[in-house]
Amino acid sequence: MTQEASLFIALSPSNPDPMYKQVTDQIKDAIAIGDLKPNDRLPSVRELSEALKVSAITIKRAYFDLETEGYILTRAGLGSFVAEVSRDALRSRKLDELRAEMTRIVRTAARFGITREDIVALTREIEEQ
Amino acid sequence: MDAILEARNVEKQYEDFSLSGVSLEVRRGSITGLFGPNGAGKTTLIKILAHQVPARAGAVRVFGLSYGDGEREIKNRIGYVAQDPPFYVDKTVQWTARFVAPYFAHWDGAHFYGLLEEFRVNPLKKVRHLSGGQKKLLSLALALSHGAELLILDEPTAGLDVVYRRALLDRLRTFVADGERSVIVASHVTDGLDEIAEDVCILQDGRIVMHEDKDGLMSKWKWIHFRDGALAPAVVGRLSNLRRQPFGDSGLTEDFPALREALARALSAGDAKVENAKLEDIMVSLIKGA
Repeated sequence: MTQEASLFIALSPSNPDPMYKQVTDQIKDAIAIGDLKPNDRLPSVRELSEALKVSAITIKRAYFDLETEGYILTRAGLGSFVAEVSRDALRSRKLDELRAEMTRIVRTAARFGITREDIVALTREIEEQ
Repeated sequence: MDAILEARNVEKQYEDFSLSGVSLEVRRGSITGLFGPNGAGKTTLIKILAHQVPARAGAVRVFGLSYGDGEREIKNRIGYVAQDPPFYVDKTVQWTARFVAPYFAHWDGAHFYGLLEEFRVNPLKKVRHLSGGQKKLLSLALALSHGAELLILDEPTAGLDVVYRRALLDRLRTFVADGERSVIVASHVTDGLDEIAEDVCILQDGRIVMHEDKDGLMSKWKWIHFRDGALAPAVVGRLSNLRRQPFGDSGLTEDFPALREALARALSAGDAKVENAKLEDIMVSLIKGA
């Protein structure tokens, strides 16, 4: 399987996040779960913009941000490659996202009188599925 | 079903075009959007519903009355905006209002002039000197000024800029807000009327290919984006408009609830995503499939 085949990106026009951010977030996820590994070559700007039906500027912006944040490296004439990102960094990024989601869940639960025990039981139920 | 307008098996024959067996209902208090490609028969159907041209066969009942014995009452209670409103172009807007007022039992001049002000149409101008959009607004102001309970509109947003289009959409929403008054409007899907229509009727080649409430429609039609190989071939086989791309495939389903279970695993693993379809997608898909 080629590395591109395992990269899955789906952009949503109804998502409030701008397109370039949806691209960066999904590439970060792909790195975190191992779909993209350090030194893997990313698709070219043109390949990705054609497949996702967005402008090259959108993909360039996404790659620029990824590079600034240290997720990828661009080598002139060769393309962009996944950087050596520490698993801790990837994990803590996801933890921040989960914190935001959990905040919403915990607050909602409190409003409706759902207890911590209920939530733990729910988590267990989901894990057993 | 509390129908304010009912058409049964309406037929119309032109040399190169026919409406065949068209049946539809407009619910009390709702906005029904009539959509379809150019030449599908939207204008012909609208004209028949407003009794501007006769049908060759079939029945149209408005407020429970037929045009045969209730024409005068029906026309007092409907507001009609033609695609190309027929005005005396050398007369002024004011003259036009004075000309049509006696035809209506409940003409409200103050309301009419208030609307003209809101629409920024100068009553002293000759109709000839109005832009296409202003003529539409004049026609709409006339339709809204005699206490109509049903509006029958043919492409009312044509020629309107975004500001007046927004104003028109807001007016229509307000019009039906009392739950008694209704609208049927022929239009293109991309002009905002698809957003406010509660019932959707799609016409193609003189036939109705879909007539459903939009919430129901939107809960069933979805785009599924999925990682290559994440869905069983049997599931993929139930999708239409398949697009295979290097970074993920997509397909359209017209019955998402029936697929939900088959998709559950891929969805929770992040290997598939669901996206709302647009009315435009649905229309294009139906027309391609026909």
